Amino acid sequence: MTSFFGRFKGTSPASPASSNTPAKKDPHLPQPTPLEKLLADAGPLRGDGSDKFFGFENFGSTCYCNSIIQCLYYSVPFREQVINFPSRSPPEVLERPAQGPLPRLNTDLSPLANSQNAALSPKGRNSISSPSTASPRKPVTTPGAVNNPQGMKPEDNKDSPEYKKKMAMAAGPVLTMDYENSKAYGMSESLFTSLKDIFEAVIAHRSRMGVVSPNKFLEILRRENEMFRTPMHQDAHEFLNLLLNEVMENVEQFSRQRITEVGDSDSKSDSNALSVASTQTASVPDRTSVPSLNNTGWVHELFEGTLTSETRCLTCENTSQRDEAFLDLSVDLDQHSSVTSCLRKFSEEEMLCERNKFHCDNCGGLQEAEKRMKIKRLPRILALHLKRFKYTEDLQRLQKLFHRVVYPYYLRLFNTTDDAEDPDRLYELYAVVVHIGGGPYHGHYVSIIKTQDRGWLLFDDEMVEPVDKAYVRNFFGGENALACAYVLFYQETTLEAMQKEQEAEGLAAAKHATELHQEPLSAAIPKQNGVANGHPLQHATTPVVESEDQFVSLGHAATAPPIPHDPHNPPENIVTSIPILSPKKSNLQSKKEKAEKAKEEKEKKAQEKELEKQAKQKRKEMELKRRENYKKQEEDLRAALAASKLSAKNEADLRRSHTQVDGSENLSEKEPHVQEKEKENGFTSKGGLSRFRHSSMSIRHKPKFWSHRDKHESEAKTDTEHVGPQTPGVETGSQDVTPNATPDKPEKEKSKNRFSLGRKKSTFHL
Amino acid sequence: MFVLPPPPRYPAGGYPGAPGGGPLIETNNTLTHPTGPEHQLVVGEGTYVLRDDLHLATPPPHPSEAPVHNPNPLATTVSPPTAGTKLSVVVIAPRQQSYQRLYRLDTTNSTRSQVPPSIQESPHETNSQASDAGSHSANGVTPFEGLHAPAFGEGNPLLSIVNGKDAKDPLKRRKPKSNIVKSNSSFVSRVIPHEALSKRLQEHNPNGLYAFANVNRALQWLDLSSPTKEEHMTKILFTKAHALCHDVNLVTRGPNHIDMIMGFSTGDIIWYEPMSQKYVRINKNGVINGTAVSDIRWLPNSENLFLAAHMDGSLVVYDKEKEDALFVAEDQAATGEVAPNEKERKAALAVKKSVNSKNQKTNPVSYWKTSNSKINAFAFSPDCRHVAVVSEDGSFRIIDFLSEQLLHLYTSYYGGMICVCWSPDGRYIVTGGQDDLVSIWALEDSMLVARCQGHNSWVTAVAFDPWRCDERNYRIGSVGEDCRLLLWDFSVGMLHRPRAASVRQQRGSITSATLKMQKSRADGSTTRLRSNSNLTTASLDEDEIVHPVEPRARTAILPPVMAKKADDHPLCWLGFEEDCIITSCSNGHIRTWDRPKEGAGSDDDEPSTTSTSASAPASSA
Repeated sequence: MTSFFGRFKGTSPASPASSNTPAKKDPHLPQPTPLEKLLADAGPLRGDGSDKFFGFENFGSTCYCNSIIQCLYYSVPFREQVINFPSRSPPEVLERPAQGPLPRLNTDLSPLANSQNAALSPKGRNSISSPSTASPRKPVTTPGAVNNPQGMKPEDNKDSPEYKKKMAMAAGPVLTMDYENSKAYGMSESLFTSLKDIFEAVIAHRSRMGVVSPNKFLEILRRENEMFRTPMHQDAHEFLNLLLNEVMENVEQFSRQRITEVGDSDSKSDSNALSVASTQTASVPDRTSVPSLNNTGWVHELFEGTLTSETRCLTCENTSQRDEAFLDLSVDLDQHSSVTSCLRKFSEEEMLCERNKFHCDNCGGLQEAEKRMKIKRLPRILALHLKRFKYTEDLQRLQKLFHRVVYPYYLRLFNTTDDAEDPDRLYELYAVVVHIGGGPYHGHYVSIIKTQDRGWLLFDDEMVEPVDKAYVRNFFGGENALACAYVLFYQETTLEAMQKEQEAEGLAAAKHATELHQEPLSAAIPKQNGVANGHPLQHATTPVVESEDQFVSLGHAATAPPIPHDPHNPPENIVTSIPILSPKKSNLQSKKEKAEKAKEEKEKKAQEKELEKQAKQKRKEMELKRRENYKKQEEDLRAALAASKLSAKNEADLRRSHTQVDGSENLSEKEPHVQEKEKENGFTSKGGLSRFRHSSMSIRHKPKFWSHRDKHESEAKTDTEHVGPQTPGVETGSQDVTPNATPDKPEKEKSKNRFSLGRKKSTFHL
Repeated sequence: MFVLPPPPRYPAGGYPGAPGGGPLIETNNTLTHPTGPEHQLVVGEGTYVLRDDLHLATPPPHPSEAPVHNPNPLATTVSPPTAGTKLSVVVIAPRQQSYQRLYRLDTTNSTRSQVPPSIQESPHETNSQASDAGSHSANGVTPFEGLHAPAFGEGNPLLSIVNGKDAKDPLKRRKPKSNIVKSNSSFVSRVIPHEALSKRLQEHNPNGLYAFANVNRALQWLDLSSPTKEEHMTKILFTKAHALCHDVNLVTRGPNHIDMIMGFSTGDIIWYEPMSQKYVRINKNGVINGTAVSDIRWLPNSENLFLAAHMDGSLVVYDKEKEDALFVAEDQAATGEVAPNEKERKAALAVKKSVNSKNQKTNPVSYWKTSNSKINAFAFSPDCRHVAVVSEDGSFRIIDFLSEQLLHLYTSYYGGMICVCWSPDGRYIVTGGQDDLVSIWALEDSMLVARCQGHNSWVTAVAFDPWRCDERNYRIGSVGEDCRLLLWDFSVGMLHRPRAASVRQQRGSITSATLKMQKSRADGSTTRLRSNSNLTTASLDEDEIVHPVEPRARTAILPPVMAKKADDHPLCWLGFEEDCIITSCSNGHIRTWDRPKEGAGSDDDEPSTTSTSASAPASSA
């Protein structure tokens, strides 16, 4: 074991060469995989896991889980939070192996073990981590020898994903995650701890590539959620929903325990920690007691936004508002539409009538009403679920919609409320979960993810492969497209970051072009079959901002440029930072560091202010100048204008009448709006299923919910029970339709009920 | 323990309609005449009725390309770029362009005669100043045909020699060298001329439309005025390359001559003369630039020069008659991939070869680089001075191509920009993009005027309807991936301000002049623009070139006057003709929509649009 850790320690900081996969160095290997090629020039390993590219083993229809976990892993803030949650500083992570026995790596490489880890074998189920046995059963040294591709039959189609996956498994290293470290984190075993285990293991491993076998994770998932127990095809969005809620819950539960523990004497918690036999937890209570509590809402901060539903009673014209939190948005699809338009449709007005009337407090009764949902608080990570699986009443089952829905690389939201903060927030697409298959009950999920500095990668279970940026656009859907985007992850970004990245991408493309120039033969048919003539893929190596506060600053960054101040139009949206989201790294850095940071930031701000002032002055000067110039030219022109004085008068008249037109414009605006509404592809009947419409706010509770925790838990339990045996199409009490019809108080309870599972699509439990 | 199901596989052919190896049969175009209310566009001026739907047959894949059965939907091979059907339309002997009747030529002339010559130098300046004073109706639109704009490369004697030689004998145009029918080039697969091509050429109505349309790897020459318009005049099948863009030279067109150019997915460019079936291949094998050509256009008023936008962000001017030469950037400073100052480079146009270069024996004539990201489209201003360029990174540039300078750099609300066009008077530029918006920009105010909201997907083509534009009112058409055609009426006075901003605006009317007052930044650049014609080489302040994104709360929003599904497939091209609107889609459908019949719409022939009653006094002035 010492040797293992010695090796580990030795490789991590300084030697870039050894940090490459051993397979790379093997001279017998004829062809490195595209991923290996991509990583050939990689520098030293980073501590934050941004340069790790692990596939996930598929235990038979667990691709829903693999694809989602990958998407979460490559969300920089999410990964950071998972790693840091029961607070720990990064240096500690690195030193940990040297310090003492806390091995969490199980680098099991033997092919035998691989083949037999046939989904959660009982052995895997029962094995609870015992730190002492966790040393690698076999050294990771020569994976190349194990999986020499020369040994493969050439008949095997090397381009087939099956082959590539097999090779990935064989190449290893395989991290068999059949242990758990929850105690080391001071938490009880949960989906969160096992997710954290996976992340930690991937980051700590010295290889950049490999395969994770998430046995334990699946075990917990299946133990706690009956619907995932069957080996059937599952819904990836459903799983994302569950996972986020679960993580949120675990984190909050932990912090509540912390509070009570901290309430007790320090010594007691110390001894507690010691009994856990972990040096690391020992330091947890004293350091984290404050920050970790502040920080329990990080899932909320990242994924949660607020929707405001405005309901206007048509009888009394009274408008009532209700805020609801959401973790992701499920949008209905139309043939030949865009994500932008789907979101706009989501916020379109909806009539509540007939069976679906609204209980108006003002008139006191069920009334017809108009309802619309707008986004009040924009999430930092916007998870968009494209509702490709639609229940068709005549067929009595779910069907997959192959509608072509285009999604841009960058996005802003149109459907915000007027008082929303930073309504022009810029989002960038960073991950796409793709469903491949003809229907909802079978098929396959993969994800395509933009990594921090390695461009876009395709994660197909065990296989990880770099892809061109344009590849992301292959999944719009359409007539002959089996593979369509199903969940889109957009994360907030800034205009500057966007431009920087585009610059880098362009550079990579340019380099590629010049390379092509050097081989005129291939230039004749460039891009025809890229893989054949070398390396076709253009990878933007975005200059990684190494600074620690990269993320913090993002929180304060304006996504829309500040509006130039001028007397005619005082600024409205200059402050774009979200106060709630601020203390990101608080537990990452020592207070001293923090203070320094703050100081730096202050200085920066002051500087910026000054610059702004100067710019303002300059603008003013320019304005003055311009006006002078303007006047002068105006005078010059006066002669010319004299000729057309008559028409000038007309012009004035005209302008006046135009103002009137302008006024009436407001009224006439409605008309095209109605036209817009015409549905081109009436796939859904408004009655039955549109009720699923807004049920997408998949969150269980609001940020401060943990105070109601106990009640909620019991609710959750009952809910899970009755969700299980349902048949498709039967609705749980999770519709937002019924709540509307009920008086206010019950409504609240109901909605909580919904949140408690976030499972509007009970139809998916199969 | 349970038995594991087999690992997931791609359902093999289980899905109906999956692409498979079909029979390799060349099929014919079909013409249909769908009728009914769903094939009518109802606008204020009347009803546009679908005349016919011409479906261009998609050619089968070239035999050399192995048919792919059961393709892997996750295949990571990079497929070459392709484009939906676009048209290049040309009338051999056009009548007087009708939209020019709308402009009062006499007043324009008289006004201009009083303008000091220094201002007259640039027609925009006169316009803007007039409009500032609130009386641009007097000379709002300058007919640019009568005005002599300096020709591109005029200052370079090396270029003008070539031009002069051609001008001597305008009737006998030079033809390209090789015959495309007899060609044994591997680039061209087959050429299929119509059996009675010469007869059809003779029968062609000189006022009728010729169109060139690409579909997949084919390019078809069509006579849209012929009774048998579904029969192509000539069809060219290329081996692998797809023609992504093409353009017809309006200067050199004649009864016996049409100069057309096409840009290909392989980077090659072909100059083609359909009457004599001759062609020349330029940028062969990507000698000058190896990336696909996304847009191509003849330089206005030029017989020989055309501009091609390559996907790596280069704009290259070629001469149709010059030989290729391996291109090495001349200005070393511009080629360096390491920019001395990132911002500086962004705010400038990298001139890798200037039109003023001494080396003009071979192509390229000039070579500019906007950025490294793909250029999606560009358009020349009617005054032949500016070119507007939109890119995949969402940037929108206005370049003074005569002086090879970047004037403005705007950014889309989000996502890439796909299409761009100029208003007939050159005052406004309209773009469309992946933010589902049609955006209207004012050149002289250098600002965003309005965002037009109404498309349900990306906007793929925009065009002004010159027959429905006058000096205050503009008709814009746009088509998008949502298969819909939208029409917008935009007039200077009717802009609807967003709620937040309009509160403050209620005192006065909202015209472009008052809009302008809000924006000190924009005004600054107007000043610079005015003085610009004198100092061509002065370095411009970055601040005035790069414009920030306008927040939504401050931008006027324009609703469409008409929105209608115009096809079953995403649309990708739109054109306005005197008697019709033409749309084309990604699948090869070309639809012609007849304009409202005279008398049906009350003011069909009137220049004013119905949306603004106020325009009547203006036009009678």
